[in-house]
Amino acid sequence: MAAIVKETQSIKEAVAHINAIDANKFTRLLSRILQKLHLKGERSFSEDEEEKLQTALAMEKQALHLVLETTSFLLEQAVYHNIKPASFKQQLENIQVAPDKAEAFCQAWATAGPDVVEKIRQRIFAPKKLEHVGWQLNLQMGQSSQAKLKAPHAVLDLGVREEYESEHLQNVFVEFSHQELLEFYNKLETIQAQLDSLT
Amino acid sequence: MAEHVGIFGGRIPAEVETLSKDLKDLDKELFRKILKVVVSAVEGKDCGEAMVEIGESGSLSEEKLSRIVSGLFKLLREALRFPGSSVKQEGFKEDLRELRISEEFIADFASVVFGNRRSALDAAVTQRGPRLPSLMEFRWRVDVAISTSSLARALQPSVLMQLKLSDGNIHRFEVPVSKFQELRYNVALILKEMNDLEKRSILKIQG
Repeated sequence: MAAIVKETQSIKEAVAHINAIDANKFTRLLSRILQKLHLKGERSFSEDEEEKLQTALAMEKQALHLVLETTSFLLEQAVYHNIKPASFKQQLENIQVAPDKAEAFCQAWATAGPDVVEKIRQRIFAPKKLEHVGWQLNLQMGQSSQAKLKAPHAVLDLGVREEYESEHLQNVFVEFSHQELLEFYNKLETIQAQLDSLT
Repeated sequence: MAEHVGIFGGRIPAEVETLSKDLKDLDKELFRKILKVVVSAVEGKDCGEAMVEIGESGSLSEEKLSRIVSGLFKLLREALRFPGSSVKQEGFKEDLRELRISEEFIADFASVVFGNRRSALDAAVTQRGPRLPSLMEFRWRVDVAISTSSLARALQPSVLMQLKLSDGNIHRFEVPVSKFQELRYNVALILKEMNDLEKRSILKIQG
């Protein structure tokens, strides 16, 4: 398999720092970064936590950032190629990562890797995404233009979130009569058939 | 039911009261034309042209035509409020006689309210009642993401939906497969509940 990372100057520096970290502490670091890897834009550690890390690992701010970014990068590459743990270990050793650290990477990847890949696979980016499905079924008894109705009708509440507006969910309300809902359902069945033909 | 409650339930609107006077010497053909326009109006269709045509035929003053149209419109809308099954044709005709409308016009009117066009009329009225936007057009697409910036081999399917609603808004959004299943399941659930509801209401809530 082709190398998943080129040994640049920055990588060399980062690896040197990584190798100097205590093995146990590094394992914990790895597992936290893996946990948050699939969350776009979120930092693995808060400002406070980073300060504590600096002390715990006896590292300066810049060095710590380099270590965190490089470790994340290595893991992202592992995800991108969906690399096997053994292969990953080999490649890390190729860029001079110490055996114990390479082993730590390998273990963490073997345990949490598949999960992370799955989460990232399911992450689709689209301007808008359906996040919530709610509904209400009403029996309409009358309206200003018609008395004595007995018409059931449903209101679907589709919660759609915009890509970069994680604060607020837009509610799209759509009303359906029985007939209209049946037609809609038939179309959903057609879509399902398409999805089924893919597997 | 011992007492027969007239269509207007006791209070006859002004436009309808004056109808009998205006309809008295009206030519039958002209009445039928006007009635046709009024029915189209109730259905929500655009009647501008038809009205202009009638106005230009010259036999009626603009004022009189307006009075007749508004009276007939009001009368028809009230008559359509009650489902065809709960109003007896004879009772309805009696109500119209009490308004002093001539027999031939009553027959024409009754044929609109009780004739075979009634269900289409009802459907049009329901459509125009107060409601949340309904689905006018539904387009969709199934995509498979082969590769992304995060994953060389993703092979992840997703559904893209576009809903055009009756209020003119178009909503386009992506639906992850798991959400799609949830949507499908919920719609099936609502349909089942609707069926149950309809069976029950036929038995319990008598029209």
